[in-house]
Amino acid sequence: MKPSTSTARSTARSTAVQPSAALPHVALNVSQLSWTIEGKTILSGVNFALQRGEMLGLIGPNGAGKSSLLRCLYRFIRPTQGQISLFSQDISELSPKAFACKVAVVQQDTPHYFDMTTEQLVAMGLTPHKGMFDTNSSGDSEKISKALEKVGLSHKLYQQYERLSGGEKQRALIARAIVQQPQLLILDEPTNHLDVRYQIQILELVRSLGISVIASIHDLNLASALCDSLLLLDNGQVSAMGTPTEVLTEERIAQVFGVCAQVMPHPQHANPLINYFYGYQKSYGHQKSTMDEVVVSHSPDTINGVKTPS
Amino acid sequence: MKLLAPIFTPLTRQQWLMLALAGFTLLTPIAAASFGAANISFLDVLHVFINQFNQFFANDDAPTSAAMTERIVMELRLPRILLAFVAGAGLSLAGSVLQTVTRNPLADPYLFGISSGASFGAVVMLTLFTGSGLFGNAGVIANSAMLGGSGLLGGTKILAGLLWFSLPLGAFIGASLSVLIVLALAGLGLKSQVERMLLSGVATSFMFGALTSLLLYFASPQATASVLFWSLGSFAKASWSLLILPSIVVLVSFFIILGWKRQIMALQAGDETAHTLGVNVPKLRLNMLLLCSLITAILVATCGGIGFVGLMIPHTVRLLFPGRQPILLTALVGGLFMVWIDVLARCLLDNQELPVGIITASIGSFFFLLILRRRKVAS
Repeated sequence: MKPSTSTARSTARSTAVQPSAALPHVALNVSQLSWTIEGKTILSGVNFALQRGEMLGLIGPNGAGKSSLLRCLYRFIRPTQGQISLFSQDISELSPKAFACKVAVVQQDTPHYFDMTTEQLVAMGLTPHKGMFDTNSSGDSEKISKALEKVGLSHKLYQQYERLSGGEKQRALIARAIVQQPQLLILDEPTNHLDVRYQIQILELVRSLGISVIASIHDLNLASALCDSLLLLDNGQVSAMGTPTEVLTEERIAQVFGVCAQVMPHPQHANPLINYFYGYQKSYGHQKSTMDEVVVSHSPDTINGVKTPS
Repeated sequence: MKLLAPIFTPLTRQQWLMLALAGFTLLTPIAAASFGAANISFLDVLHVFINQFNQFFANDDAPTSAAMTERIVMELRLPRILLAFVAGAGLSLAGSVLQTVTRNPLADPYLFGISSGASFGAVVMLTLFTGSGLFGNAGVIANSAMLGGSGLLGGTKILAGLLWFSLPLGAFIGASLSVLIVLALAGLGLKSQVERMLLSGVATSFMFGALTSLLLYFASPQATASVLFWSLGSFAKASWSLLILPSIVVLVSFFIILGWKRQIMALQAGDETAHTLGVNVPKLRLNMLLLCSLITAILVATCGGIGFVGLMIPHTVRLLFPGRQPILLTALVGGLFMVWIDVLARCLLDNQELPVGIITASIGSFFFLLILRRRKVAS
């Protein structure tokens, strides 16, 4: 089951279904986005664009505004300023239903559902596509079973959603998003609470869908390995945007996250691989009192006698 | 061969339940109509129904031997059974929808102070027209105004008629008032809408409760007694004309709820999820609340306060048929339940009727403890 070498990533991309050619190349364009609430600025002057079919990773420390930015994107929050356009159309012009036909969301905290089977949960993805008295057609049930097959949950069809494991719940939610047939998929920390196997599985699954994706991810190594580009958010502002290699530098990680790290190319995919250094507490084993000291003593050039590539 | 397969495959537990329910539904009107003070058998009722059916289609006006039986069945018992069915179905629907849109398993149609508002309205009307208590003077004026011209006897008759009509009207106005207060407090915002709704419902409920007690304290014993009897609920007043409004409201609401089924289901998964599925959450919740309030207000006004049906029927149906979206089933089970509760109310005591509300509340609270126990065991 081990992925062979660097081919694992490219295979995932090439098997992907490309969205229709009629769509413009830029899936999402955000310009000068700001959100202020009760005098507190949460987001300010956020600009970025997401290319069609690309997977964008949203990274940044806690409280940087990642969830708020995503909520602006799926219109749960109305931004104070700025424009968001989806395939060259201003998203505020769309009706709730039309918007839900284009954008699907997998949320961070899966809310408590009472009494719902996996199948019913996945079928909820049909909601924006259906009129008032429409019943589910045979095509719909096929859609549902295909989505469940894709996320590997076909055998859990009639099981209560509440009884699924964390990873299965997340996959069920992704199956719902697949049934929703969006042009853009937004995921708010989809790998939260998951073990490492599911973290990789979920993100690779999302990649394989071939739609434009924007996902907030806490694990920088995961983001580096599986995203086409990264957006680093700090204090509500864009600190860096670009390929993982461009964004994830030692200086930036130290500056934004306040940790000392060594960055080197990953042996498999050659994107940045981050190794963190430890010992930030006085009482903690390594007797290092401040960040600066850590930086000085743990200079990446000397650690373990390995010279890191610059 | 494939087409016949479903007939030969053994039925699942759910399918058996459905089949049993369907049979029960067909038998209920006939069986329920054979219970009561007058001794009418199951076959008599069946005979009456077949007769009516024939007359309707063949326009055959042949006099039947059992004219008395026919009148009792057609004019007393059948409207009563139908009213009980409509009330049970409506309250269960309202309860089911409210539990979903507020995501509160304890929600029921009386959650928003509807019943206390209705009681208040009823008490105001009673004390107003019986000329007692706080409204003594106003009552006297109303009395004399109505008495002018006609004799004393005629006046009392008019008064009784007016009371008969004004009590449901007052209840409806009171119920609507409480809903308006709750809505004004809950607002249209997405944040904490549910909490505000529930809390303002409790507050409204207590406020009207206090006002009702105040009025009753100053009211005459007769007025107090009639308010008490009314608030316990009864289908004794049922007639074909009384049946029209509740039937229309419940039927129309049923179709509206059916039409918004997907959106209501989506709300069950949380406001934010529903939003991402294209649901206008505050608007939908507000509309559903209004709809449920309308159902409840009409039913409370027609049959008095019948508690616990809206709470326990949706839960029972969910337990019996897991993994479904049982809107039709909920309405059906609620209706049937109420019909048989009414049969109990008619037959438990020899010479008088028990108020329906007492039976539903006692069965309901017991049932509720059972659910709690089950939940405790399950978790």
